[in-house]
Formats: sequence, C-alpha cells, structure tokens
Amino acid sequence: MSVNKENVRNFCIVAHIDHGKSTLADRLMEKTGQVSERDMEEQLLDSMDLERERGITIKLTPVRMFYKAKNGQEYIFNLIDTPGHVDFTYEVSRSLKACEGAILIVDATQGVQAQTLANAYLAIDNDLEIMPVINKMDLASARPDEVATEVEEILGVDASDAPRISAKTGLNVEDVLEQIIEKIPAPKGDENAPLKALIFDSYYDNFKGVICFVRIMDGQVKIGTKIKTFMSDKQFDVTEVGVFSPKMQQKDTLSAGEVGYIAASIKSIEDTAVGDTITDVNNPAKEPLSGYKKALPMVFSGVFPLDGSKFNDLKDALLKLKLNDAALSIEPDNSAALGFGFRCGFLGLLHMDVIQERIEREFDLDIITTAPSVSYKVYKTDGTELTVENPTHLPPTTEIDYMEEPIINASILTPPDYVGQIMELCQYKRGVYKDMVYLDKSRVELKYVLPLNEIIYDFFDSLKSRTKGYASFDYEVSGYQRSDLVKLDMLLNGDICDALSIIVHKDKAYERGRQIAEKLKDVIPRQMFEIPIQAAVGGKIIARETVKAFRKDVLAKCYGGDVTRKKKLLEKQKEGKKKMRSIGTVEIPSEAFISILKTDNSK
Amino acid sequence: MKGIYIHVPFCKQKCTYCDFASFPKEIGKTESYFACLYREIEGRAKQYPDKIFDTVYIGGGTPSAVDAKYIAGAIRQVKKCFTLKKGAEITIELNPGTVDANKIKEYKSVGVNRFSIGLQTGFDDQLKRLNRIHTAKDFLLTTNLLKGENTSADILIGLHDQTIDQVKKTIELAIAGRVKHLSVYALTPEVGTPIYTDYLNGELLSDDEVADIYQEVVAYLKEKGFNRYEVSNFAIPGYESKHNQIYWDRGEYIGVGVSASSFMNGRRFTNTFKIDEYMNAVIYNKSPEISSDLIEGDDAEFEKIMLALRTAKGLNVKEFNEEFNVDFDQKYKAALQKKGKYLVRDGDYIRIQDDYMYVQNDIILEFQLN
Repeated sequence: MSVNKENVRNFCIVAHIDHGKSTLADRLMEKTGQVSERDMEEQLLDSMDLERERGITIKLTPVRMFYKAKNGQEYIFNLIDTPGHVDFTYEVSRSLKACEGAILIVDATQGVQAQTLANAYLAIDNDLEIMPVINKMDLASARPDEVATEVEEILGVDASDAPRISAKTGLNVEDVLEQIIEKIPAPKGDENAPLKALIFDSYYDNFKGVICFVRIMDGQVKIGTKIKTFMSDKQFDVTEVGVFSPKMQQKDTLSAGEVGYIAASIKSIEDTAVGDTITDVNNPAKEPLSGYKKALPMVFSGVFPLDGSKFNDLKDALLKLKLNDAALSIEPDNSAALGFGFRCGFLGLLHMDVIQERIEREFDLDIITTAPSVSYKVYKTDGTELTVENPTHLPPTTEIDYMEEPIINASILTPPDYVGQIMELCQYKRGVYKDMVYLDKSRVELKYVLPLNEIIYDFFDSLKSRTKGYASFDYEVSGYQRSDLVKLDMLLNGDICDALSIIVHKDKAYERGRQIAEKLKDVIPRQMFEIPIQAAVGGKIIARETVKAFRKDVLAKCYGGDVTRKKKLLEKQKEGKKKMRSIGTVEIPSEAFISILKTDNSK
Repeated sequence: MKGIYIHVPFCKQKCTYCDFASFPKEIGKTESYFACLYREIEGRAKQYPDKIFDTVYIGGGTPSAVDAKYIAGAIRQVKKCFTLKKGAEITIELNPGTVDANKIKEYKSVGVNRFSIGLQTGFDDQLKRLNRIHTAKDFLLTTNLLKGENTSADILIGLHDQTIDQVKKTIELAIAGRVKHLSVYALTPEVGTPIYTDYLNGELLSDDEVADIYQEVVAYLKEKGFNRYEVSNFAIPGYESKHNQIYWDRGEYIGVGVSASSFMNGRRFTNTFKIDEYMNAVIYNKSPEISSDLIEGDDAEFEKIMLALRTAKGLNVKEFNEEFNVDFDQKYKAALQKKGKYLVRDGDYIRIQDDYMYVQNDIILEFQLN
C-alpha cells in the first residue's frame, strides 16, 4: 500500500512544561480513534514511570494517526512528541527535523513562558510552520485574548485563528485536527530517489536489536533492503519496518514523507547514531541529510555505589541506560573516599536527576553522587590543551597557563516585582547583564550570560525562593570564556578528600570552602583524636574548622550480668562503624557523606 | 578464681536511675523468696559439684534492707552446699539508713568480711533528687559501725549540675569514713528509668563534662593513695575487690536469685527478672533461666579482650594464647596496627594507655572480628 504524500502531515507539539502537551497528544489520539477512551492509560505517550510521575517527557515517542477530515479525505498524521525541558532541547531539535510543522501550545492562564519561547524559536529556526493553540480554556482564569496578543507580539506568529481548546475536556480539539491539515504542509521528497532516512531516535530491544526511529526524506525502505549509514561502514539487512500507532505496527514499506521505525539486527546503538542518515547500499544517496550536532554532556558527576560490592551492578545499570540514551556518557572513576564508581556526563541537571533516579528505582541500587561539575578547558604552560570534567584530574596550578569555563545564555521570565531580586542573584552568580524586555505589563524577560558552573550550584533553588516560584528559566550553552578558576580541596586530618574537591571561581573559593567546612564539622562524628577540617586552594589553607576528640566512650560498669548486654552494645557500635567510609584516618558515616554532597547543591 | 553472686531484689524505695531487679513493693515476699533462694543454691551446687569458690558477693537491691537472718541463712546455705575456700572474700552491699550494729554483727558472724556502701554523693539535695533514702550523715553513721572493717563506697558522677568540687567533697567524705576502695561510676541513664527524662531534656552533665570530672577524680584519688585498677574502680593497694576481678578475668561464677547471671563451663546464663516467675520455677523444680548461650571461638576471645582491657593491668597475652590456642599478635594484627598508639606493651601484658581508658570502646571494637 503506497501512501499519498499529499495526505500525510508530520508534526510535533512544543510547549512550556505543564502547558498540556501530553494531554493534547492523548486527546488527538482519542479523537482519531487511535485508542478508545477506555483503553487510555493516563497520558499514553509518557510511557516511563518516571515520565508519568513527574509529568515530563524524556524520550521521543512518535505516533501515527488516521483522520477523516471534514473534506471527506483520509489523512495520516505522524505526531512526534518532544521533551519539554530545557535539558532536552537537543532532543527537541531532533524531532523538529523530522516534521514540517509544530503545534505551539500556550496555557491560556500563564501565557508565553521561557520554554514556549525557546521551543518556538527552535521550530522557527528549523523552518517549521508554527500553529499556535491556546489551551486550558476550561479554567476560570483563562485570558485567551491577552495570550493570543502575547503570542503575536512576542513570537510574531499569527494567533488570530488559534484554536481555543481544553485538551482536558476535549473542547474544540476538532479544530486542531482540521487546522493541522490546513496549516501544516504535506511532506516533500521523492519516493523514487535514493533512500535518505533521518534517524531521530533509537532504542535497544532485546529481541530485535537497535530500533531506529526514522523520517523517510526520499526513497523507500522495506524488509530485505541492505542499508548502511553515512557515519559507519557497517551494512545491515532490514528485518522489519513499521509505524507507531502508538504501539509498533509492522508494515511492508516505508516511503518518502513517512515516519516509522527500522530494525535490522543492529547490535550496538553506536552504529546508528541519532542524526545520521540511513541509505540503500545498492542505490546510495550521494550525500547525507544535514544532521545534528552531537549532544555534548555539560554536567558531570561521580556516581558511586553506596555498597562497594555493588560496583558491577551499577556498571550494568549504567550500560543499560546508555543503550537508550546516547547523551549519557560514562567513564570509570576511582575515588579514595568512595571507592570504584563512574564519572557520568549529563545534558543538564534534570537529565542527571532522571538518570540517578532511574538507577535507584529501576535497578534498585543505592548510590552516592558527587557535587556536579562542568567541563573546563585547561591551557597548559607547555602549550597543550585538555578538557577536565573531574576536579581531581586538574593539573597542578604551576602547569596551568589559564582556564576556560562554559557559559550560557540565560533567559528568565518573571513578574516585574522580582526583577531586582533576580538581578541581584545573577550578579552574585557572576552573570553579565544583556537585556531586559517587558513582554507585557505582567512579565519581563531578563537576559544574562552566566557561567554554567554557577547554575549547577544552587541557582534553581535560589531563583525559585526569590521569586516565590513565579520565574521561569531557560538556557543554552553558548561557549567558553576565560576565567579565574581554582581547585578547592577539603582536607580531613591533613588528607585530601577527593570526592569533595570542586573547581570554583577564585572569588567564591573562600565562601564555599567555609560553607563546606562548617557542614563537615556538623556531620563528622567525634573520634578518638581531634580532626582538623581544612579548605585549601593550591596548598594554601583558606578556612578551618575542628571536630574535637570525644572524651567519653566507655561502658561505665561491667559486672556479671552486664557482659552479654554490653557485648551486644559494642556489636551495635561496631555495625555502625562498618557503614563508615574512611578518608585517610577519619571515619565518616555514609549518610553524613551523602548529606554533604546533597546539601552542596542547595543552600 | 571462681565466685558466687547472690541477688537480693528488695529495697526501701527505688532510685531514679535504677534499672536493676529491685522491687520495693514486694518486700513482703522476703520469707518465701529466700526459701526459694536456698533451694536454688542447693540445686546449683549439685549442678557443679566439683568447683571450688573463692568469693561470695551479696548484691541487690539492698541486701541490708531485709532482716539479717535471711542473709546469714543464705551464706550458711552456700557454705553447706558449695566448696568455699578458707578465707574467701565475702562482700555485702549496704545502704546507709538500713543498717544497725546488730545487723553488722550478724553478717560478721557468718563470715562477711567486706562491706560495700552505696554513698553515691555527699550532698543531701542530690541524694534526695535521686530518691535515695539516706543523707550524708547517715553514711558516716554506717561507717562508724564498720570501724576496722574492709569497706568500699560507690560514687556517681554526671548528676544534675554536679561540680568537680562536689565530687571531691564526696570522695573526702568517703575517706573520712575510712573506706579502702571506691567505685566511681558515670551515671548511665537507662531507658525506662525516671532519670532518662532528665537526660532527654539535657538536664544531666554532658559527656565532656563527665570526662572532665573523671579525669580529675583519677588524679585526686591517686593523690589520696587510691590506684585505678579498673576503669571505674580505685583501691588502696591490697584492697582491690577479688570478686569483681573474676568478672574481668573472665573467670567462672554462679549467680543465684532473680536476674542473677552466671558463667560456667563456657556458658553464660541468666535467671528471670520477675520475682514470681523465679519462685514458681524453683518451687516446681524448673530452671529459672531465661537465656543461656555457649560462648565459643572469636566471641569468647573478644569477651576476654574486652574485659581485660578494662583493667589497669590489661590482658596477659601469653595466657591468652595458651587459653585459646592462637597467636594474639598475628590474629589481631589489624587492630593492633590501627589502635597501637593507644596501647602499651608491658612484658606479657597489653593494656590501654592511662589517658585513653575513658574512650576505650573505640579501641576495643577493633578486636571484634567479622
């Protein structure tokens, strides 16, 4: 069965978090009869437990729908869902490449938010047709006229006929379906040209191997087609092609304009990199489609098993997660304090959070994670350059000529009342003011250039608390800048505790050092000897606290009847000690360790 | 050396810190309790017919709170059923306010030769707060009855608002009472006792404050001629308690009566804490024990180390190696390496350095294998 391209629409939905993206997707599927209301688990697209719980979308999920329009014709809709969060901007841009249009959902009560902007601009950059939809009309506080004006003024997109809907109740959802046909162009592409299929996502299936999610730009692919990608020389025989409805449904052929999947007994996810182009070995395309930039991890953190003997379990868990998450980077790591573990790279803090939570939940492992770090460029005096993600790998200061740190372009949307507070915060975080735009009476957009390492430490929480949760924040990494950075070490009884080392700006070193030292003093139990806690930069002590030696640790009495009881008491004390981690001569309970590393990211 | 312990579970009233088996309201059961006690003595003696004993210790509760005839009866029964060495140390615990000349006379008539007096503190307001029945003056009245005898006193540190000066005055009071031996215990607030509430509310001295007092006590007593021979026990040389030394040597002892513990033939066992349950068991020829454990291997070794390191003398490594057929230095290499700087080697003995006696748990723990 060949498909008439004129009757295909490929689109995605973009929105600020919580503006109703998944709900609308569900409603579209329901209206097109893809799933009955009864079968519908709440929010079908978010299939990961974690996604559903947090109300976020992490992985891309394409769905194929059939719609019989009012003009009597049948259409195929391919909806490619996108993650809403800033960490996953990269994944959003992937799905955008596979579409001709984007539905832009705006909450009728909240209006344009930071990610509405970011995602809309992303769609515009990718030459997509933007189709605004105003959602949440069922709420009493809906102000659709104002919001429509906002969309026009801020985004420059015509919103005069934007459907005013309630994805929740189903109000006016038909208008959305009709407008998709009207506004979003049918795919171009030539099914007789050599095969060009863009891989926009992939995951690993235990039985079928790697499943590539593709948008066919030109040509056709069917079972038996010998394929290869442009980036790898390996060849594969296609074993299955199909579409998503929303479960995978086998088909004979996928042809130009269509969105679907290809399986070809591919063993490694690395062989079919996202953004690569698949072509036919026997009739190859001359050049690949313009792919994507490789997603670079920007935030790094050490991940260690709480129980050292679970190292292999942790390794298995990370490798499994990596199979479906090309953006996650893993490297073996070894800490004197925490033992064997991994240095992991993440797209951002949410990505990090999600991975850590999945390890604990899906693999039932307790982990300790170190304070997040970013990737620094180090220029050495001998003229060489290296990238440092782990503070312990920083060369001695004498070998460093200068260093660069990643910076971001930040956009913060806030009610005007909080502008002062936010400026103060950004200044404190070494931000450079760029611009301030009044979007309307009630909202201001602030633009700052900020060092990423200030964002990963305590920025979100401070922003939230200073603005009572009203501000929204979005960023993109914009490059590197030279900066006066130092490595801050924490010493316990003279020994460096590597897990606590961080790279900070010189001006922040004293403050951070003092904070961590104070925290350590609170959580380290007193021991037989006095423990000096020192914060040091390049061998120079900048802060000091002391844990006094304990003075009394004895069983006052021990006579006939006490022996058994006292022995049990000591056994208990010993059990407690077993859970301690040794840093040089100092013993710290694991819980205390976790509490230092955790609080490190908040206040 | 081997010892016999006899428990008397009666008191005039209960102290706020007491979690021992003592029942002021049950004092009416004295007659029947001692009848059972005599019977248990007989039974235990039959159980271990070949053992020879060196000490007897009558503790409580307040042994002096009951009529002296019961105590005399118990000692006679012990002498009748067990083999007691000539010149055995026989100690009884007394509380001021419960003794008179006749009682002392009767105790002595059956061979009691050591008297341990519950002084606790020399300050009447503190005594009252602890719900003790006596005053400082009562203590001196008691010691006056014991002129020329081998006496000891118990003192508590860590009481509400207690100062080092008060503790020193208490020690002076004890010395004025001619005691040759002192036990100085840090108050340990046990769950379920009234004083535990005070502890929870931070009304007792902190560990650091107690440690300060302890340090001063050790120095002060040394000045007065009392040597610390165990963490909490001080004596003029020659007046150390033989009975207690058995516990720290991991020697054998039989305990009779409610809540009494025993250690015989490698087995530790303990009688029930309930007085009626105890009497019922004895009357119906059943065992009053509620727990019984054979202590072997590493566990036995650890007991030996933990107890011996409480003493100033320490652990006799040579004897240890012979008793357990091991090489102490090899087997406990890791512990010795880690905590070596807090230990002293002195001939065959290894002991904890004087300054670290009060923080010994952390050292001892290293010797607990697995």
